[in-house]
Amino acid sequence: MSDLLPIIPLFGDDIPWLAGRRAQGRESFCLPTAKTEAWKYTKLHTLQRDDFVYAPSKFLQEFEGECEEEHCSCCGEHHSDCTCGDHCQCSHKPNLYIDLPFDAYQIHFNNGKFMPLYPALSLGVEVMTLMQAVVEGQAKNYIGKYIDLQKHPFAALNSAMLEEGLFINIDNNIKLSKPLVFIYHSNISQPLVSNICNVFVAGKNSSLEIVEYYYHSGNEKDFYFNNIVNEFYLAQQAEIKHYKFQNESFKSAHIALNYVRAREGAFYKSFCLQKGADLARNETKIELMQENAGAQVDSAYIMNGWATIDTTTDIDHLSPKTTSNQLIKGVVGDEARGVFQGKISIAKDAQETEGYQMHKALLLSDTAEIDAKPELEIFADNVKCSHGSASGELDQDQLFYMRSRGIGENEAKQILIDAYLLEVINHIDNEQIKEWMRSHV
Amino acid sequence: MSKTSDIKQIIDDTYKYGFVTDIKSDTVPQGLNADIIRFISAKKNEPDWLLERRLKAFEFWQTMTEPNWAKLNYEKIDYQKLSYYSAPQQKKAPKSLNEVDPKLLSTYNKLGIPLKEQEVLAGVVAVDAVFDSVSVATTYRAKLAEKGVIFCSISEAIREHPDLVKQYLGSVVPYTDNFFACLNSAVFTDGSFVYIPKGIRCPMELSTYFRINAKNTGQFERTLIIVDDDSYVSYLEGCTAPQRDENQLHAAIVEIVVMNNAEVKYSTVQNWYPGDKEGKGGVYNFVTKRAACRGKNSKISWTQVETGSAVTWKYPSCVLQGDNSVGEFYSVALTNNYQQADTGTKMIHIGKNTTSRIISKGISAGFSNQTYRGLVKVAPNADNARNYSQCDSLLIGSTCGSHTVPYIENRNKNARLEHEATTSKISDEQLFYCRSRGISEEDAVSLIVNGFCKEVMQHLPMEFAIEAAKLINISLEGSVG
Repeated sequence: MSDLLPIIPLFGDDIPWLAGRRAQGRESFCLPTAKTEAWKYTKLHTLQRDDFVYAPSKFLQEFEGECEEEHCSCCGEHHSDCTCGDHCQCSHKPNLYIDLPFDAYQIHFNNGKFMPLYPALSLGVEVMTLMQAVVEGQAKNYIGKYIDLQKHPFAALNSAMLEEGLFINIDNNIKLSKPLVFIYHSNISQPLVSNICNVFVAGKNSSLEIVEYYYHSGNEKDFYFNNIVNEFYLAQQAEIKHYKFQNESFKSAHIALNYVRAREGAFYKSFCLQKGADLARNETKIELMQENAGAQVDSAYIMNGWATIDTTTDIDHLSPKTTSNQLIKGVVGDEARGVFQGKISIAKDAQETEGYQMHKALLLSDTAEIDAKPELEIFADNVKCSHGSASGELDQDQLFYMRSRGIGENEAKQILIDAYLLEVINHIDNEQIKEWMRSHV
Repeated sequence: MSKTSDIKQIIDDTYKYGFVTDIKSDTVPQGLNADIIRFISAKKNEPDWLLERRLKAFEFWQTMTEPNWAKLNYEKIDYQKLSYYSAPQQKKAPKSLNEVDPKLLSTYNKLGIPLKEQEVLAGVVAVDAVFDSVSVATTYRAKLAEKGVIFCSISEAIREHPDLVKQYLGSVVPYTDNFFACLNSAVFTDGSFVYIPKGIRCPMELSTYFRINAKNTGQFERTLIIVDDDSYVSYLEGCTAPQRDENQLHAAIVEIVVMNNAEVKYSTVQNWYPGDKEGKGGVYNFVTKRAACRGKNSKISWTQVETGSAVTWKYPSCVLQGDNSVGEFYSVALTNNYQQADTGTKMIHIGKNTTSRIISKGISAGFSNQTYRGLVKVAPNADNARNYSQCDSLLIGSTCGSHTVPYIENRNKNARLEHEATTSKISDEQLFYCRSRGISEEDAVSLIVNGFCKEVMQHLPMEFAIEAAKLINISLEGSVG
């Protein structure tokens, strides 16, 4: 039982740079208040408690002590090195494999802990735990190096407790055929805090599809807190498509920061559907470092109850000829609050840049609330930039049209909401993932 | 369209209002404390309740910190180095214009507000002129009085109409509102007061002209406009200041109360000294303007043309309390050289069927930075509220910046809110088109810029629109090529 930032032993505290980064995170962290501009609309009272639980990690024992783990009965390797992946039939392992309507490599986190079941990936794609990448040295140049911890308090918290997470490296010219799915399952009834940091390094001209799926089984009133940081590093011409479906328990807290750093000609495309959690924030921070880099950030949220759901984007156009496009659509009912904060910054020399942003929201009840803050910050003159924001209720004429054709009110509303969100869901390229997302709306 | 030679001439006298009037003034020593406030209050023969309010505000102000959320970067203001009261020396209060110091009158003549001319022109505009801290002349009072319209300086209103002032002063902008409003509440020296009785359409446009003359003074004026049921008034405000190397502070409050079926049109052409080309000097303009639509079907329309000031911090707001009330905000802000402007509006929808409209045009040139910052807020009971916001920015040159920060807070499902913003530059095609028809580049730019602002300019009263268009041409000086 402790506050959000307890002092507990972590793996690698004896590695100076890692200890330094943790210390920096610890120094920078403080819970944002209503006066913190970036958190103006998102109230954090669900996090104001002092009974948080941290689950001890296995890393300390795994690396320091002798491996007590049993061998996999399929391939004979240690469980942590099991190469059977999704096909593992081993009876010692919990069967985590879940049925998804699309073919994918599955990676599992259970209650915030990575389950060492590695998918059988093709050559040129490497998946290892973050701490392994720390030991082997690849991680140093990436983890949290470019994130401004003063501006991202929860990334600071994540940094301070840095241990869990994966390091994924894709070599040059490798194009992964199936999406890599991160499945985050929670079923804990204690106020567990999980700080997870994943680093994706995409080589030149590589391409990768990632799906994040957060779900919960058990009591839907369980409170737990997932604090996620994903870092994406895209080399020249690399392409990452990132799909996220957040369906946490109704009482949980979910805060995620996706940090993207794109080099020349690289493209980051994301879609995020947020449906769960009592306090949810999906923040995307993109730095378009070199010419012709681009990003498309789409998002949909649908919320009832008393939840606050926050979509924040911050796109920095740092070089000429960079492009970005955003479409965010939301539906809120009951006493829920939808928050959108979007910022497009265009640096002084980033001429011939294009940045578009659109936020639309539907309110279904008299007590729901939408707060939007679309922001432009422009220091270059030869640019095309625009943003828009609109909010309102379902069109009564459309409802009437359907009612007059014998469709019940609830059904008619459902059809209209589906159609409303379909505009943004249609931006998903992968047909199977599109259908999957659509079925959850 | 002016000829190039005319424009060149205009360019040469960059800020033509930059002269100083050599006039004897009563100025209190620099510094701010309770005694200074007592002095100001005593000097103006104020009743005790007002002094009490001032002291209360001052006490509260000392607990406040200067806001720093705006995208503005200016040297910290030393509030103890300012003088809080400066008045042109006069033996007695003038009974008519003939008694006003001729030097003062000539100053206003230079500024293009010939107070005397008004009488000849018969009933175009009634002017209240505020010189440094005090109101020096109000024209056309008799004619207005016939209709029951009260138009005088606020000091006079405090003496003559204490009930009205006591009831409404601070009711729209309480002293606790913000740092600068609180400072103003403590030290305000003069300003204009307007009361339009029930069912009166004010026969002429009312106008205030503000002028900062003395060195190291802050100007803190306070305007209170009360428009009773079924009435209408159009109010104009203009401002200039002499060219000085030091920064001058201007922290004003404008409060407007609009009752049932009443309408107020408030137009501002703000042309305080913007500082020189290196960004030295200029007026710091921190203004709180707010209108409360208290009655049903009331309407308030703000139109502003902002070309002056080194630093502008200004958010004319509409509190739409009455059902069916309407708020409008039309703004052109032009910044050049090292000017900075953080301006916008607030539309607070409280009553049912309230509508608001925001049209903001920002033009940045030189090394200037400009921010539109606006709030549209819909309260849970504001059924069928409508808002439309449009913010367009035009960038001239690659060293300036333009920013848009709208806040949209909707708590009613029947509300329909739309916000759009675009940023662009003057396209080469547009320029080429003009140039190929023999229009010089400078003229072409001002032609395009005036076209860009047209939507706002057409809401200004005629005389103001002409002045504003000229101002924009002058302010654009040097931004091309």
